[in-house]
Amino acid sequence: MKSRSCMLFIGLALAAAAFPVHAQGFTPSKPIEFYTHTGPGGGGDVFARAISAAMDKERLAPVRMQVINKTGGGGATAMAFLANEKKGDTHTIAVYTGLWITNPLMRAEANVTLKDLTPLVGLVREPAMLVVKSDAPYKTLKDFIDAAKKNPGQLKQSAGSIGARDWVVRQLLMTNTGANWAYISFPGGGERIAALLGGHVNIMLVEPQEAGEHIRAGNMRVIAQVSDTRLAAFPNVPTIKESGFDIPTVPQVRGVVGPPGMPAEVVAYYEGLFARFVKTPSWKKYLDDNLFEDGFMRGPELARFFDQHTDVTRNILKEGGVKVVR
Amino acid sequence: MEVIGYISQGFGVALTPLNLVWCFIGVFLGTVIGILPGIGPAATIAMLLPLTFRMDPTGAVIMLAGIYYGSKYGGSTTSILLNVPGESASVVTCFDGYQMAKRGRGGPALGIAAIASFIAGTVGVLGLMLVAPPLAKFALTFSSPEYFALMCLGLGMVVLLAGESMVKALLAMLVGLWLAGMGTDLFTATSRFTFGIAELLDGIDFVVVAIGVFALGEVLGNLEGREGTQMLPVPKGLRNLMPTWQDMKDCRFAFVNGSLVGFIIGVLPGAGSTIASFISYGIEKAVSKHPEKFGTGVPEGVAAPEGANNAETGGAMVPLLTLGIPGSGTTAILLAAFILWGLRPGPLMIQDNPTLFWGLVASMYIGNVMLLVLNLPLVPLFAQILRLPAYVLYPAIFGLSIVGVFSVSSSLFDVWMLAVFGLLGYGMRRLDYPAAPLILGFVLGDSMERALRQSLMMSQGDLSILVSRPLSATMLVLTALILIAPLFKWANSWRVRAIG
Repeated sequence: MKSRSCMLFIGLALAAAAFPVHAQGFTPSKPIEFYTHTGPGGGGDVFARAISAAMDKERLAPVRMQVINKTGGGGATAMAFLANEKKGDTHTIAVYTGLWITNPLMRAEANVTLKDLTPLVGLVREPAMLVVKSDAPYKTLKDFIDAAKKNPGQLKQSAGSIGARDWVVRQLLMTNTGANWAYISFPGGGERIAALLGGHVNIMLVEPQEAGEHIRAGNMRVIAQVSDTRLAAFPNVPTIKESGFDIPTVPQVRGVVGPPGMPAEVVAYYEGLFARFVKTPSWKKYLDDNLFEDGFMRGPELARFFDQHTDVTRNILKEGGVKVVR
Repeated sequence: MEVIGYISQGFGVALTPLNLVWCFIGVFLGTVIGILPGIGPAATIAMLLPLTFRMDPTGAVIMLAGIYYGSKYGGSTTSILLNVPGESASVVTCFDGYQMAKRGRGGPALGIAAIASFIAGTVGVLGLMLVAPPLAKFALTFSSPEYFALMCLGLGMVVLLAGESMVKALLAMLVGLWLAGMGTDLFTATSRFTFGIAELLDGIDFVVVAIGVFALGEVLGNLEGREGTQMLPVPKGLRNLMPTWQDMKDCRFAFVNGSLVGFIIGVLPGAGSTIASFISYGIEKAVSKHPEKFGTGVPEGVAAPEGANNAETGGAMVPLLTLGIPGSGTTAILLAAFILWGLRPGPLMIQDNPTLFWGLVASMYIGNVMLLVLNLPLVPLFAQILRLPAYVLYPAIFGLSIVGVFSVSSSLFDVWMLAVFGLLGYGMRRLDYPAAPLILGFVLGDSMERALRQSLMMSQGDLSILVSRPLSATMLVLTALILIAPLFKWANSWRVRAIG
């Protein structure tokens, strides 16, 4: 009957419209969900929000990026969420940090690795500063290492958890020099700084921006930079290599990944978006303010970096006596 | 004193119409967030951050701070009326607050909570204004041994919270300590009691345990009794719905206690508002002339913890503004906000941004007044909620609890855990196990173990570090005294019985 064939036609049209349209040039049509594995105020969270705000300001994307916290398991929850529940989603991206490389190596439950996700872009490398309290007797890193050798296990470093970047730097330094000092984990950066300023520990690694403020106030002294070249803001502080210790520089990396199964043109879109983004003045200002290094990498270069870094980290963990599960 | 000059400038900034509007929006939002269980000020501030980028930083920080201390006012509402802790620090308010509501004194409980919050909030701001720098220096002398001793003091409060059966209280505390240990060990990255479940890698959320044991446990326990009748007695007349002068007199010491304990503990970066409310409650009970009445519904039992968790916000701002070190989860996101706005938090922040600092301090005074004016008249209104019949109220509590828990990390697993803890709370109620020690153990267990291990790492395994430092030694001695005190009472009563 006429009405029935009409209904059929309308039904088919609706069904056809419901199929996702794989346009040649992908553009997002609804807000992009930008996941981070830290809680509000954490490192990845602040990073994601800064990107989201700058993107908004520069109007590079036709939609906004909404930051969503997916905490748990040192990043494992967020990674599993991306791999299992957001497969093929074109409007989902996430911030990765070095923890996404280290965590799956150490925890059996963290069974999603970066190989299972789609690398999009690497964005920053964060250098760090080795600092001591301003009234400490160590003027250079060599002073500290010598003191540590004289009193094995007595000196203390306040830091994050095992496998974090401060642990890796300590491991590399201890293996290189034969010195030995205690590693005391504190869950929050604030507590670590409080421990140093209160004189309860002797040394710690801080981000350059945090260090800057306390140095300006005269509370801390920087004895070395964890960086390949000296930062412009700290021209008189030697890098670890310049201090005479030949260890690889361990950057804290941050960037963006996507869920598995992202179509090629969507990946190209995001890579292009971020490639334009890192050239903007807002982004340059962000890098300057926070003393980050521009570590822009895309696509295959990023994938190679992940593989390389995973192997290097695995070796360091094994040498440090940490159980490696994959 | 130059302080007067600065603060007048600050009022000048805070009293501009725009900043007053931001202050009001902040405290109002904060109150609403505090009332809703689950979602807290930290998450709210995080969500509002994008909006603040177009604002002037002073106005923005006034609003966000308003959310922070406003939420502490709202948190007591559901704790008192429904036994649902609206915010983790409000769990102690449930002990006496809900009992007061059960006896028809819900209105006075809410009123006392608001007044205590106002007094303590103001004291907190006064402290921030006057003694911030030296107090921050004092806070730096606190490290792992002192935190461990402080937590021991807090756990010692179990003795004071025990009620009739010390054994049951201690058992509950041990269960709480065990639950606190679940998750990933910070120092060795090994998983403990995670049963291979990825969602347990970070341990169990406090909100899940507190709401499960208190709210759901209570509802399940009550389901056995009446049905459909009015749940709790609500007296008529405005006078019965507000605190009496006698109540205020009873709480004189509690106001002072809550303010000081809350503020000082707030200044310490490693201790939070929940610990502050427990310790304040414990001290209040210890110095009270009628300690056995605590837990049955005494106004001081509401005033002390409520004051403590409000003064703690003022205290937590001290390390944030004078050192750039966050004193709590919410101040951590405020720190992030400062960075995103281009301010540089650290020791020189007040010096570099005097208008912001003094404007913020002045706005906190104003905000506290706004909150008192907002909350007190609403007390009789809120108290009417208790008139709802059980078949309306219980499902509402269930729904509020489930949505609140889900809103924390959008995890259905948390909701299932909520059910488990609801059953646990019900079981504890039936077998007469007190819930307070379990919560105390759960709150303190994690930090306490961490502090002990950090201390031992600092001393290379030498336990004497705990007693060789004056502050930690003092607190440990106090703990020992608290633990021994019941023995004296027992020995005394034995002697009296033997003679008489």
